[in-house]
Amino acid sequence: MTRRPEVGALIGTLGVFVFFAIFGGAEFLSSAGAASWLNVAAELGIIAVPVGLLMIAGELDLSVGSVLAASSMTLAIVSGHWGGPMILGILLALTIGVATGLVNGLIVTRTNVPSFVVTLATLAALAGLTLGLSRVITGTTSVGLKPDPTSKALFGTLISGQFEVAILWWIAVAGCVAWMLQETRYGNWIFAVGGDKESARATGIPTNKVKIALYVGSGFGAALVGVIQTILYNGAQVANGQSFVFNSIIAVVIGGVLLTGGYGSVIGVILGTLTFAIVNQGIYYTGWNSDWASLILGILLLVAVLMNNTFRRLALSSGPRSQRKA
Amino acid sequence: MERKQIRRRLARRRLSSVTLPALALLASAGLALSACTSGATSNGGSSGTTGAAPSAPGASTAGGTISIFVIGGKSDDPFWSKVKRGVDDAAKVVQANGGKVTWLGPQNYDNLGPDAAKLILTAKSQGATAVIGADWVPDAQDEAFKSVSDSGVPVFLYNSGGADAAKTVGALTYTGSDELLAGKVGGQFFAQKGVKNVLCVNTLPGAVNTEARCEGISQGISVSGKSTQLPLPSSSFGNPTAITQAIKATLLKDSSIDGIVTISTQDADSASAAIEQADAASRVKLGTFDMDDTQLERIKAGTQLFCIDQQPYMQGYLAVSQAFAYNAYGLLLPQSPLLTGPAVINAGNVDQALAGAKAGVR
Repeated sequence: MTRRPEVGALIGTLGVFVFFAIFGGAEFLSSAGAASWLNVAAELGIIAVPVGLLMIAGELDLSVGSVLAASSMTLAIVSGHWGGPMILGILLALTIGVATGLVNGLIVTRTNVPSFVVTLATLAALAGLTLGLSRVITGTTSVGLKPDPTSKALFGTLISGQFEVAILWWIAVAGCVAWMLQETRYGNWIFAVGGDKESARATGIPTNKVKIALYVGSGFGAALVGVIQTILYNGAQVANGQSFVFNSIIAVVIGGVLLTGGYGSVIGVILGTLTFAIVNQGIYYTGWNSDWASLILGILLLVAVLMNNTFRRLALSSGPRSQRKA
Repeated sequence: MERKQIRRRLARRRLSSVTLPALALLASAGLALSACTSGATSNGGSSGTTGAAPSAPGASTAGGTISIFVIGGKSDDPFWSKVKRGVDDAAKVVQANGGKVTWLGPQNYDNLGPDAAKLILTAKSQGATAVIGADWVPDAQDEAFKSVSDSGVPVFLYNSGGADAAKTVGALTYTGSDELLAGKVGGQFFAQKGVKNVLCVNTLPGAVNTEARCEGISQGISVSGKSTQLPLPSSSFGNPTAITQAIKATLLKDSSIDGIVTISTQDADSASAAIEQADAASRVKLGTFDMDDTQLERIKAGTQLFCIDQQPYMQGYLAVSQAFAYNAYGLLLPQSPLLTGPAVINAGNVDQALAGAKAGVR
């Protein structure tokens, strides 16, 4: 009980919520206000949860931005430009994510090149590939799509005109991952790999397979958001998605995951994502000049993380035996 | 090109402001994504010349043959394909008089200034009797433009640069649009429709062109109303959901806002969703800079007030016509800048715009 990684994150989330409830007024607390940050959090969260797992296992994935763009463009080109069936476009788009994850995972585990560099390379390469192919195939960088009612309902509809179905996808993804992390041996493997790879391997954990699977997971998450955004906004643009690279890492870190790996939880990542989204959107409910938005964002994020660290230290020092220092 | 240039500038700005190498790479990825791409040279619709390849016959002024060189973007870029349509149409008159028009484009936009400068010099060395070019990166290109104008070959600027740049490089005129003026016209149109409080959504705050657009809106509406800017941070860039929700929040917070203008068509799509989600369709009117099919469809459906078109076809058409008239007969218009925009597309003229779009001209 004492070793709860999410306590600090929870206080951070509540803190920014109260902050904007005070300064944002009734509109922030209305259902439309809640939808503002929930929608942003849901899309970010679908990427942040698997990225968080990777970071618990001690690796980074920067390629998610380009995976999102590539998956969006794939869906828009296959089902929009070429007029193919929606299901084919969606499957191919998700395949792009899985394939990129596989490539990332294989290179990281086979070469021992730091994952920061490997995924930075795939981020750039995939961005170029997406732009190049889009231009060759369609002659443009933005492609429209007219989704059929079923796909629209599954991926891109607004519940009661406000809440994206992405929120349900986020809950589903987070639920699966949380269960896996806490209840199955794979969860222990992930912590073990992030904690100490050598001893993890010595105890018979297939560290490489674990990492490859985690990269496939983050690629899939990013591709899913690409599908959701493309169907929601009826089209895709090559330049979309790049902001998710750092936003996902920020959300994970606010959520109490250590950048060095081995420590964190899914609930923490969810809370971190909510904190980021509340801060990111809450500012527009304050009525303050939004020239200062980035400044306030930066300060609040820093405060949230500092608070997090304090609580993590407390949690670790009061634990029966602290394995790692924060 | 203008819009993409803004993105380039943004990319550079971000790059300089952050130390993480990853972000630098991101920025350059964004740069590559948004720059208008490579430019294999293509024929300007004339009698079999081959663009940049130096196999062009190299007509000389001495022989009296007119050879006009146009430096532009790649012709399959949606914006530049419209410019090129104008160039091609104007080239028909040139050909009928025994002259030719050659279109040159850079291989890509990663090194736009120096590449464009080289193309200007290529045009000169191939015996151009007139050179038409866009002054995208003045620092890199002005030297080349000057060397052309100094050698007695007339230079015409179009699309990017403005009248002052034309004077600097010794060009005869500038043909294109003016962001500040485009904004003013948009602001006046809002005022004319009774809009009092406009929100200018700027997803690229700090970039010269977008600031000029918002400033223009503010000036245009100042007689009967006001305009405030909503600058969105780079953490929202390229994420339509974050932009939509930010606009929605602003609308919910300030119920006096009755007009929104965006700096790009993608942002207009986000703003349209935001207006719907804020349940504000009855009070908020939407306008945007730039034009695409989605904007035209919304204007047609009555859910959008207007979009501002810089009429790229006219840029190509007028620039070539001027160069030809000057070469052939010494004719020169007194206007500089010769403005091709802004044109406000609204419910009254959207059908013509849709027909033009279908024809690939608008």
